Parts: sequence; C-alpha cells; structure tokens
Amino acid sequence: MHHLSLYLHFVKLRIQSQMEYRLSFVFDVFAQASISVIDFFMIALLFNRFKELAGWSLWEVGFLYGMIGICFALAEMFGRGFDVFQRNIARGDFDRVLIRPLGTFFQVFSHEFLLRRFGRIAQALVVLLIANSQLIIPWSFAKVGYLLISLVSGTCFFIGLFVIGATSCFWTVQSIEIINIFTNGGVFMGSYPFSIYRWWFRHFFTFIVPLACVNYFPSLFLLGKVETLGISPVGAQLAPLAGFLFLGVTVLFWRWGVLHYQSTGF
Amino acid sequence: MKSLYLIFQVYLAFAKKSFQRRMQYRVANLAGLTTNFFFLLVHVFVYTAFYAARTAPQPLDLDEIITYFVLCQVSFMLMPFWGTHSEVTSAIKDGSVALQLTKPVDFQTYWFADECGRACYYLLMRGLPTFLISILFFKVAIPQQLTVLTTFTVSMMLAIFMSNAITIAIFSSGFWTLDTTGISGMSYSIITLFSGMLVPIALWPEWLAHLARWLPFEGLIDIPFSIYLGKITGVEVWIAMGKQMGWTLFFVGLGRFLLTRGFSRLVIQGG
Repeated sequence: MHHLSLYLHFVKLRIQSQMEYRLSFVFDVFAQASISVIDFFMIALLFNRFKELAGWSLWEVGFLYGMIGICFALAEMFGRGFDVFQRNIARGDFDRVLIRPLGTFFQVFSHEFLLRRFGRIAQALVVLLIANSQLIIPWSFAKVGYLLISLVSGTCFFIGLFVIGATSCFWTVQSIEIINIFTNGGVFMGSYPFSIYRWWFRHFFTFIVPLACVNYFPSLFLLGKVETLGISPVGAQLAPLAGFLFLGVTVLFWRWGVLHYQSTGF
Repeated sequence: MKSLYLIFQVYLAFAKKSFQRRMQYRVANLAGLTTNFFFLLVHVFVYTAFYAARTAPQPLDLDEIITYFVLCQVSFMLMPFWGTHSEVTSAIKDGSVALQLTKPVDFQTYWFADECGRACYYLLMRGLPTFLISILFFKVAIPQQLTVLTTFTVSMMLAIFMSNAITIAIFSSGFWTLDTTGISGMSYSIITLFSGMLVPIALWPEWLAHLARWLPFEGLIDIPFSIYLGKITGVEVWIAMGKQMGWTLFFVGLGRFLLTRGFSRLVIQGG
C-alpha cells in the first residue's frame, strides 16, 4: 500500500513536470497519434491494392495492429523509467537510487510516467474498436476478460524488453540500440499475421522473445482462426501467460545486473 | 577568392568534427546496423506475402520493391527527423548555444555543416554496410547505365542537402518550444509517409500520389530511388531534380527566417 501511494505521488510529479513544456506536450500527443494513424493508413493502402494478406482481411490485421499498439503505448507510458535508464547510468545518478530505502526496480519503474502516450493508446484503441465492428466476433465475458489479460500481458512483455535494455546499461553504459529491434520492430512485426514469416523467424519470436504469444495467438483465438491453422486451442488460450513470465525473467536479470553496477559518477 | 576558401575551410572543419564525434560509438552503430537489417527483413517478408497472392502486374515488381526498401534502410539515418539527437538541438535546449552564437560564423551554415558531417558518417558507416549485406541476402538491382548512376548520385546528394535544410527549419522551433520531441514526432509521421518510405508512392492510389507530388518530401526518398530503378527517365529526371533543388532553397530560406526570428527572442536557458 505504501508503494502504491508513493507511486501515485511520483506519477503526479511526473505529469506536472511534463506540463511545463506545454506546447511541446500538445504537439507530442498529436505526433504520437499521427505516427500510428499513418502506420495503419499505410497498411490500409496496401490492402486497397492487394486485397488480402495470407488469408487475412484488412480488419483482421487491424485487430492485430490495435492490440499490439495499445500494449506498446501502455508499456511506454508505465515503463518509461527503464526506457530512458541510460541517462541515469551515464550521469552516475544510479548511486542515489542505491542508497534509498526502496527496491531499485520499484524506484526506476516509478521514476518516469509518460502521460503523452495516451494519444497513441487512444488511436490504437479506435482501430481495435473499428476492427471489432467490422468483424463478427462472438464476444462473451470470458473472451473480454481474455482480451484484457492479453493486453496486460503484452504490456508486460514490452516493459520486460525495456528492463533488458536498461539492465544492459550496467555493462555498456550507453543503452543498446538493439533493443529497438524488439520494441519498435516488435510493433511493426506484430501488426502482421505471423504466418507470413519464415519458420526460424516465427519460432524465435514465439519461444525466445514471446511476441507472438501476446497478440498473434490471442487474435487467432478471438477471431476464430485457431482451428483453420491446426494450432491447439489450449495453447492459444494459454499463450498470454508468456508475457507475464517474460517480465518475471527480466526482473531476475535486472537484480543480477544491479550487482554488477559500477558507478560512472565522480 | 582566398577568403572564400578560408571560410569553406572553417565549415569543413565543423563537418569533420561532427563526423569524428560519431565515430566514437562503434558498438551503437553495429546495433543500429542490425536494426536496419531487421526492419528490411520484415519489409521483405510482408511484401513477399502481399505479392504472393496477386498475379496482376504491379507498377513495381517484387525485386524492385526489395531494392527500394534496401535503399530506404540505407538512407534511413539521413532523414530530417533525427534532429532531436543533434548537438545543436540539445545546445538550444540547455543554453550552450549562446557560446556558438558568439563565434564569428554564420549559425545556419554551421548547423548545415554539422548535418553534412552527420550525413557522411551515416552514409559510410551505416548505409554502405547495409547495402553490402543486403546484396548478399537479396536480389538487389544495380543500375548498369552510367547515366542512371550519375543522375542517381546527384539526386541523392540533393536529397541529403534537402534533408539538412529541413532539419534546420524544423528544429529551429526549439527556440520556441525548447523540448523538440513533439515536433520531431510530428515531422516523423509526415516525412515517412510523404517521402514514400513506408510504401513506395508508385503503389499509392492516384489521388494520394497526386498530393505527394505537390509536397517536397518525395525528394528525400521516392525521387532518387525511382531514378535508381530507372522509373524516371529522360527529361523527367531533370524536372525531378529541379523540384529537389527548388524545395531545398525553400527550406534554406525558411530556416534562415525562423533562426533570425528565434535569435531575436532568444532567452538563454540554464546558467
């Protein structure tokens, strides 16, 4: 409870500080929304010309796109502290984190909160809702719950990636740009059905970096495509667990990384 | 003449310094290279799947599309929206720009030189390796005619100059907003769309392609790469390059105007 009230307090401070650059804030909310509007617009353009993609219609792809977009934007909103963690390392600020009577993970997590991402969340949500209205999905309470769990799982997955990126800073000081492959690249890849990728690519992003588990398999299940592809329905239903598991593993990696921290400070 | 040469030397030194500064981050560059290649790979997967279902002839065939996206990744880091990471932009934000302004150099030319150094770095250290690796993995078309190669080279240089001019015009807004992430994001979406970086303009519906032809951003990607693929030939090459040149001059002018306005209301941040 103490942690929660502290977290909310930090979030309040963060929001206030972001409001300092008000013009830029307004710009950024629109910018974030416009980036993803354009991304989807481009997908729509391609469908306008090619009509279908490996048996998927535009709005089925829109469902994938909306899900992954929401997850990523939420992760950026909440996991920002890890995303920009290299600053703290480069300046030697992490020393201060270590002497405070709170867990390091919690402190870095609560250090940032990126309110401006709500523009992107809203846009992805709109695409998801339109997709839903264009498709006939037999919703039930269980399925809505399953969708929500999948979204949280996807958010955990992306936060986990940010944690890996942040942890690597303990060794490299500069954040490794390679994590962009999985974050931004993940959003890009996740917007298309996984069946279009080569087998080694698919397997890597299912079993090692479980991107497919947080939006492709859940979408297959919700859109009723599981049977047609010969994937076990139980497997598709359990897939979102991978997102939570992934975050758990990265937290362990973080703890181990903290032990290797060497200050760059004066 | 002598003095002109001396002035050139000064700005060349700025460009070189900008190049060298970036040479320090070798591991980061390697990571960036991997990222470029990854995005290329996904593009190839996506377009291969789209083309697989379609037998009707398209304005660009699959091999041409792949070549197009290889070139897009080659010049991805040369695009104007990276200005947030430039030293000049952060100097405007933290106030150290004051130091630069006291020097007896033209600020816009200095910034332009800095961007040229950056462009050279990314062309050599990021673009060239991306291209060479891509040749190994994909069927990349290489123009055989000398005229195509020369006109492409000129058009590519114009694209880089235009990109630098746009960078300055966009990020001089830092004098007003200080935090440039918003404007940078906004320019990112407009530029990636209308340059043809996300989907080649040849594949767009007529009405939208028409709009793109009236905007400057096709000069960054679509014009040079269409020349490379031999899709623009003859007199049209000259018209296209004329467009690039005209827009470059426009953005240089706009940048000059904004910077003059910016200086006149400049309040130095920090202390």
